[in-house]
Amino acid sequence: MSTARARTANTRASSHCNATIVPVLKKKICLLGSYGVGKTSLVARFVHSMFTDKYHTTVGVKIDKKVLELEGAELTLMLWDMAGEEDGVPVRLNQVKDASGYLLVADGTRGRTLDIARDIQRRVEKEVGVRPFLLLVNKADLRDTWEIPESAWGELADSGWTVLETSAKSGERVEEAFLTLSSRMLNAPADDDDDDDDDD
Amino acid sequence: MTTTTMMTTTNEPIDLFAAFDLAVFERKKKRVFAPVGRVPDWLPVEAGPIDLGDRFPLLEMFLGELREAGAPDPLRSDLWSEPDGHGGELYLEAIGVVCEGRRFVAIRSLPQERFTYQQLAHDFELEKHKVERLSRELEIKRQEAERATQAKSAFLASMSHEIRTPLNAIIGMADVLSLTSLTPDQQKYVETFQRNGVSLLNLINEILDLSKVEAGHVQMEAVDLDLGDVVARAMEVVELRVSAKGLWLRQSIAPDVPRSLIGDPHRLRQIIINLLGNSIKFTERGGLEIRVELDPENPAPGRLRFGVTDTGIGIPADKLGVIFESFGQADSSTTRKYGGTGLGLTISKHLVELMDGRIWVESTVGVGSTFFFTAGFGVQAVQAAKTPSASAAAPVQDVPEGLRILLVDDSDDNRLLFIAYLKRTNSAIDIAENGQIGVDLFRARRYDLVLMDVEMPVMDGYQAVSEIRRIEKETGAEPTPVLALTAHAFSDMSGKGFAAGFTDLLTKPIRHATLLEAVAKYASAPIEVQVEEDMADVVPAYLEKRRAEVAVYRRALEAGDFDTIKHLAHKMKGTGTGYGFPRLTELGAALETSALQKDAEGVGKPLHEFARFVDKVQLK
Repeated sequence: MSTARARTANTRASSHCNATIVPVLKKKICLLGSYGVGKTSLVARFVHSMFTDKYHTTVGVKIDKKVLELEGAELTLMLWDMAGEEDGVPVRLNQVKDASGYLLVADGTRGRTLDIARDIQRRVEKEVGVRPFLLLVNKADLRDTWEIPESAWGELADSGWTVLETSAKSGERVEEAFLTLSSRMLNAPADDDDDDDDDD
Repeated sequence: MTTTTMMTTTNEPIDLFAAFDLAVFERKKKRVFAPVGRVPDWLPVEAGPIDLGDRFPLLEMFLGELREAGAPDPLRSDLWSEPDGHGGELYLEAIGVVCEGRRFVAIRSLPQERFTYQQLAHDFELEKHKVERLSRELEIKRQEAERATQAKSAFLASMSHEIRTPLNAIIGMADVLSLTSLTPDQQKYVETFQRNGVSLLNLINEILDLSKVEAGHVQMEAVDLDLGDVVARAMEVVELRVSAKGLWLRQSIAPDVPRSLIGDPHRLRQIIINLLGNSIKFTERGGLEIRVELDPENPAPGRLRFGVTDTGIGIPADKLGVIFESFGQADSSTTRKYGGTGLGLTISKHLVELMDGRIWVESTVGVGSTFFFTAGFGVQAVQAAKTPSASAAAPVQDVPEGLRILLVDDSDDNRLLFIAYLKRTNSAIDIAENGQIGVDLFRARRYDLVLMDVEMPVMDGYQAVSEIRRIEKETGAEPTPVLALTAHAFSDMSGKGFAAGFTDLLTKPIRHATLLEAVAKYASAPIEVQVEEDMADVVPAYLEKRRAEVAVYRRALEAGDFDTIKHLAHKMKGTGTGYGFPRLTELGAALETSALQKDAEGVGKPLHEFARFVDKVQLK
């Protein structure tokens, strides 16, 4: 991946009173995919550098924040860790509307989760619109037992997808994934993501 | 609930919020909301008016909708979760209400239990998938292991062939050499040859045996066996070593143990020999005892417990588990001091398990050890009298002399060896270098025994023995014992060998005593008949005619043609004694009598005798 390493800081509240003129940006990223693929773990690894093997299903949505400096801007990432999709209960996409980009997450050891990720991506394009995204095939630490065949990689590359093999457990390529997506969001054609509020 | 109630300045509605455990906020300006009444402790927000959209990003869109809303229908937010500040999670939901232009947001916390089933269902699905995945991996690993074991077995089989063939020549020649006159020094050297050759052979045998067992190639026989006999034969094998060390050796079989069993005598004996051998190795004074009793834990008639007790060095408690593993002697220096490969116990363990039993050891260091094993046998309906049975092996001195032997082997060394082995039997040995020559010789002459190598150029042993059987069938001759000489200790040779027509198999390296035992078991000496000088010209032709008649008799018997039998037998009765064969006259009379009575069974016995006689008779 081409993204330059960025200095990341895990601050709870970003300081807005910098003397130098540093653009302060706030961007929303949604994590989408089947349940149990490791979305929560990827966020925990990226934000808190933590990993636990214990599975805890995400209810509704869980929002985390990470402030980082990227390409000369201070960027606050709002990470929306959405409840995983499961059979009969498709993930709700209305929260993706104001997102600047999203991460599709699949579990390498469960081939079906790749199909679900593809399906979610199609629905996002259709119902919400085009946003920068990456596909993360997680659980790279169990690579020996992956079900996703090698042939899938070629097909995905042909469709112009960027695929990263990540491991929330070891941390492999996790930071790179978030930074790559952030960089693409910053360089994407500007959409109206100002958070001002008109009033009555 | 009415809007009027909410507008009052009394505490009532606020109490109601508290009763429902709701955190209620009213919109003041832009995104700033002020709490109505007291905010419950579970919601982590600072006191006073707050920017709800900033504090709870999920509500941002929801608040936008609330700002636009005019209808009385309440709005409901998506579910979201927040850290509760105590390491747990809060599951939150917001409800927006517009009431006379005023906008309220009520936040409530949903109990975790509501999501427990979802968590359980996910856990279950993920675990199920994991189990399926691991099962698949296990299956792949198992197949890989099986392939590896098969490759190992194949390697060992061919290696055993390659090693056993030269080893056969070395040990055999050492045996032959030891029978010649040697100086004391030379004798010592030859004994060293013999001793080391034998221990090398034992090592190869044990490794092969273990591989066979591990590869699942060992099948237990289920034949009649005499328990006392198996134990006695096992003791015979180790007797020499026991007395050489000045130890005593006892056995006791409990009176309630059935003696006539059904099982695998060879393998049972092997286990007992292994355990006895092991005990002898580690015992310097005292002795050994083998006991057999009904399994006290499972006292069914065929369930037995064997115990081999010694007064040896004993085994430390922490090594008791290791000794049944491959090369698992209690102390690695053991091999150097006491010898052995440590494979005997591993093989025994596998064999015991194949006999539906288990093996274990109880031991006290410095006092001795008892190796126990249990095994299941069938029990014969009729129990033999409990008399010590005679050794089944024929003593070597009973080997008949003056045999006519055909030796078919392409190896010079082996031919020399067998000729040396058979020297004392004064046998006439014809030699063939391959199966084809062997068959040609067989067609021309009669033999009391054929020793046949299996792997030979031109025509191999299988084909040659099939040819021999075909010739015998054609001529109606009695089957000649044909022993296969094979270095294939490890293949399925026995089934193939018997199917081709071999009488028995001898596995190389073949010891002197083994060969003589086999010869004694299968070959009987020819019947020598002195021919009068005047008759010398006609007797061979007479005998040849009688030999040809054997097939005619057999066909007639099969067809129920007693007239032909009667006719031939009558003629033989009249001529036999005249040509110098009173036995033929006797047999002719017996055949004639039975044929007259049309007694097929009565014909069978003298006919067999007749065939054997003409086959064995040798003119002097």
